[in-house]
Amino acid sequence: MLYKTISKDNFRKMLEGLMENNEVMGPRWRDRDAQGNKIYRFLKLNNFDELELDYTRTYSSPKNFFLPFKENLATYKLGDSDWEQDIHYTIHPRVIVGMRACDINALRKLDEVMLKSVYPNPYYSARRENTIIIGLDHEPLEDCFCRSMGADVALRGFDLFLTDIGDKYFVAIGSDTGYRILNQYDAQDVTEDDQLEFKRAKQEIESKFKTQVDVTIVPELMDLEFESEVWEKWGDKCLSCGSCAMVCPTCYCYGTEEEVDLTFTHATKSRCLYSCNLLDFAMVAGGHNFRPDSHIRLKYRYYHQFRGFVEAFNQSLCVGCNRCGVACLAGINPKDVIDDLITTEKL
Amino acid sequence: MKYLGIPLEKPKVAFFGFTGCEGCQLQIANKEETLADLLGAVEVMSFRLISSDKDDGYDIAFVEGSITTEGEVERLKKIRAQAKILVAIGACACLGGVNNLRSRFPLDETIQEVYGNHVIESGPVRKLSEVVTVDYELPGCPISKAEFEWLVRHVIVGVIPQLPQYPVCVECKQRIKTCVFDMGIMCMGPVTRAGCNAICPSNHMGCWGCRGAVDEANFESFIEILRERGFAEREIAERANFFNAFSGVDVIPQLEG
Amino acid sequence: MSLKIPHHDINLEPTMAKAPDFNRKSERMQTERSFKSEIIAAIPLTAQEKLFHLRICDQAERENFSFLPGQFVMLELPGCGEIAISISGSSSNHEFLELCVREVGTVTGLLHRLEAGAFVGIRGPFGTHFPMRKMKGHNILLIAGGLGIAPLRSPIYWANEHRTDYEDITILYGARDPGQILFDYQFDEWRKIYDLKLLTIVEHPDEDWNGHVGMITDLFDDVPVDPDNTFAIVCGPPVMFKFVCSYLSDLGLPRQRMFVSLERRMHCGMGKCCRCNVGSTFTCLDGPVFDYWTVMNLQEAI
Repeated sequence: MLYKTISKDNFRKMLEGLMENNEVMGPRWRDRDAQGNKIYRFLKLNNFDELELDYTRTYSSPKNFFLPFKENLATYKLGDSDWEQDIHYTIHPRVIVGMRACDINALRKLDEVMLKSVYPNPYYSARRENTIIIGLDHEPLEDCFCRSMGADVALRGFDLFLTDIGDKYFVAIGSDTGYRILNQYDAQDVTEDDQLEFKRAKQEIESKFKTQVDVTIVPELMDLEFESEVWEKWGDKCLSCGSCAMVCPTCYCYGTEEEVDLTFTHATKSRCLYSCNLLDFAMVAGGHNFRPDSHIRLKYRYYHQFRGFVEAFNQSLCVGCNRCGVACLAGINPKDVIDDLITTEKL
Repeated sequence: MKYLGIPLEKPKVAFFGFTGCEGCQLQIANKEETLADLLGAVEVMSFRLISSDKDDGYDIAFVEGSITTEGEVERLKKIRAQAKILVAIGACACLGGVNNLRSRFPLDETIQEVYGNHVIESGPVRKLSEVVTVDYELPGCPISKAEFEWLVRHVIVGVIPQLPQYPVCVECKQRIKTCVFDMGIMCMGPVTRAGCNAICPSNHMGCWGCRGAVDEANFESFIEILRERGFAEREIAERANFFNAFSGVDVIPQLEG
Repeated sequence: MSLKIPHHDINLEPTMAKAPDFNRKSERMQTERSFKSEIIAAIPLTAQEKLFHLRICDQAERENFSFLPGQFVMLELPGCGEIAISISGSSSNHEFLELCVREVGTVTGLLHRLEAGAFVGIRGPFGTHFPMRKMKGHNILLIAGGLGIAPLRSPIYWANEHRTDYEDITILYGARDPGQILFDYQFDEWRKIYDLKLLTIVEHPDEDWNGHVGMITDLFDDVPVDPDNTFAIVCGPPVMFKFVCSYLSDLGLPRQRMFVSLERRMHCGMGKCCRCNVGSTFTCLDGPVFDYWTVMNLQEAI
C-alpha cells in the first residue's frame, strides 16, 4: 500500500474541493442528549466547519448509504392483463468522510455477502462502486470492542484512510482515485519522523481499549449453549423492536414489499431492511411462526452474527461498534450476552 | 379496470362519523394529489365532508369516532347491517381514543363540568368492536392518508390487508432519528404498532400509542425500563392511557380519577 | 483530474442488459428480473390446491431456463408479492413449468383467482436438487405426505424418464383424507408404464375409500426396504419426515442417502434476505434439498 502525508490545511482544502464538485457526507451533530452531549449522524456537508472529525460515534451506522432502509428494486407498468418490468440501478456518486475502521470493516463484510458471494447484488454494487471513502482513526470509546473482533484496523475497503499525527494526517492510499485526489493537495512522501509519529499514534489508540470480549470459542458455544438459560434471561428483556439491527453496520436481513397504485397501472417492488428480532421475521403464509418467542429471535441474531457468518465467511459479522448496545433500551449488548455465554459459573 | 386480468369492481363506499373530531375523514378529503385517483377507484355514496349527496346503497363503510350514546349504537348497527365490509378508522373508532379519558370520572361529573345544567345524553365510551363486528381497523390519530389508500387498494383487489407487525422503533430508526429516550423524553414507540412513519418521535415528541399495541409487545420489560429511566408512575399512566391503546394490560399503571 | 469523482453506471453494462441465467450464480446479472410467464392452464386439483402451467413468454428466456428436480422458483404477482414455490413438473419439459400451489396467504390467494391467459413473473431456478444421477443403479423410495407430493413429482418424472437407470421405484403417499390426494389421475399411468409400485394411505377414510388407512409408516409393512441399495426422497411436513427418516434409519439406511426438502419463508432465493436461515444455513442456497444427516445437525430445523 502507498502512504503519504497531508497537512491539515491541505486536507481542509481537499475536502472543500470535493464538496464543490460532489455530494460529501460526514459526521455532523444533530441533537443533544439529556446530559447535553452531542448526538452525531452522517449528513451532507455544506462546508468544512460542519464536519466533526472528533465525533464519538454516530447513533446509526453509515450502512444506509449502501443498503438503504428502503430501496426500489423494480417498477412495473400494468395493463389490463399484461405488464412490463423495469429495473434501474441508482447511480449516486458521493464521498463519505470520517468513517471509522470498524465501519469500513463492516462494509467489507457486506462486500463478502453482496459482491463476492453467489448472486452478486447489483443494487449494492451500483452504490459501493460509486462511493469514495475517506476513513479516519479515532481513540476507542469506553465500550468499543472492535479490537476483540479484529475490526479495529482497516487495511482495505477505503480510498484514503487518515491517522492524525499532529499538524498533519498520515494517509494510507487504497485506490487510484484516492491517490489522484490526494496528490492535487501537495501530499508529501512519508519521512522517518512521520513514521515514528504514526507508530506512536497507533500505539496510543491501542492502549486505550477498555472493553474486551473473548469470542474465541463463541462459535462453538452458540451451538452448545443453544438451549441455555442465557437466551431466556436476555430474551425476557428484549422488546423485539428491531432497533439493534437497524443501527448495526452489518445487519442486512430484509423483506420485499410490492405495492400497486390506486389506478392499478403502476406497481413497485422494494427491498426493506428488516430485523430477525421482529415478530413475523420467520412467519410463513398460514400463520406458522418458526421463531415465535423473543428469546429465540434474539438468539438467532447472535447465532447469525457469531456463528453463521463465521461458517460462511470465516469471520464474525459483528465488528464491535456496540451501536446495538447503545440503541437497546433494555440494555442488551454483545459484551454482556457473550460474557454470560462464556462464563463457567452457573447462572 | 382490471388487475392481472382480474376484473375489478368499483366498490361503493360511505363515510360515517361518530363521537370524534372528523380529523380522519378530513385526512382523506384533504389528500389532493391522489384524491382524483381515489374517486376514480371507488364510488362514493356518502361523504359529508365532500358532498351533501347521500345514498344508502354502499358496500364498504368507513367509520370514524367512538360510540357514546344509544342513538349511536343503533346507527352503527344499521351501518353494519348494510355494509359488507366495515372499517374502523382512527384511534377513537379502533381504541376508544382520547374520548375515553373521561371514563375514569363519574359520568354526571363530566357532563356537569362541560355542559353545566344543559341536559345531554351520553353513555360509556366504546370502540366500534365493542358494539359491532369490525372487519378491518385502520388506527392512528389521525389516520395516515397513505395507509388509507393502501387499505382501499386491498379492498378493491379483495386481499386481506395486514398492518405492520413491528413497533414504531423500526420506522424511527429507518429515518435515522435520535431516540427520544436519549433526550429524556418518554415514548410508547417500542410497544406501539408502526405504520405512521414514526412521525411523533422523529419530531422529538414521544409516541402516545395512537396506533394501538403492537402484537405480542413486551410490556413487562418496557414498563420496567420506563421506571428505571426515572419516569414517574403518573407520567407513565398518563401517556399509556391517553388513547386507551393499552387497556387491559395489567402491568401498565392506571390513571386515577 | 477534476475533483468530480468518476462514476460507473452499471445500467450500461452489457451483462446487465441480457436475460439473467440464474444457474450461473457467480455472474453479475439483473437479480430481480422476472421472466414474464403466461398461465396457460390453471387446473383445480382440490378445494385448496391448483396446478398452474406457466410458459415463459420470451423465447430466449424460455430456452435458457433449465432446472433439476427439487429446485424452486420465485413466483411473482407484480404489485402483490413474491413467493417461493418448488417446481412440480418434469425437468425435460422446456415448454412450460408446472407449479402446484396451495391457497394459504395473500399471494397464493390472488394467484388462485388468476385464469389462463394472465401473466405472472418467474425468477430462478434456485437451490439444490435431488442427486438423481448419484442414485443410478439403486432402488428409489419416494415418500410424500400431503402437499409434499408436489416437489416429489419432479423426481418421479426424472426417474420415469430414466427408468433403466434405476432398480425398483416405490412411491408411498399419505394424505389426511381421500379428498386431499393430489395427482391421483396419474397413478395408473405411472404404475402401468413405468413399472413402479405406488401405495397410498389416508388417516381419515371416507365411505368410498377402500385402500390403506393409517400413518405413512404403516405402508412399510407392505414394502421391503433394502438398506444397502436404496436412496430415499421424503417430502412433507417436518413431523412426517422426521418420523419416516428415523424409521428408515432404524432399518439401516444411511442418513446421507435420505433426502428431504425444507420449507421456509423466502424473500430473495439468493442467500441475501436471510429470511430462510435455519441455524447458519440458507434454505435457499444450501437447500431446499438436504440429506437427512445435514438436517439433523441444523439447529432449529425440525
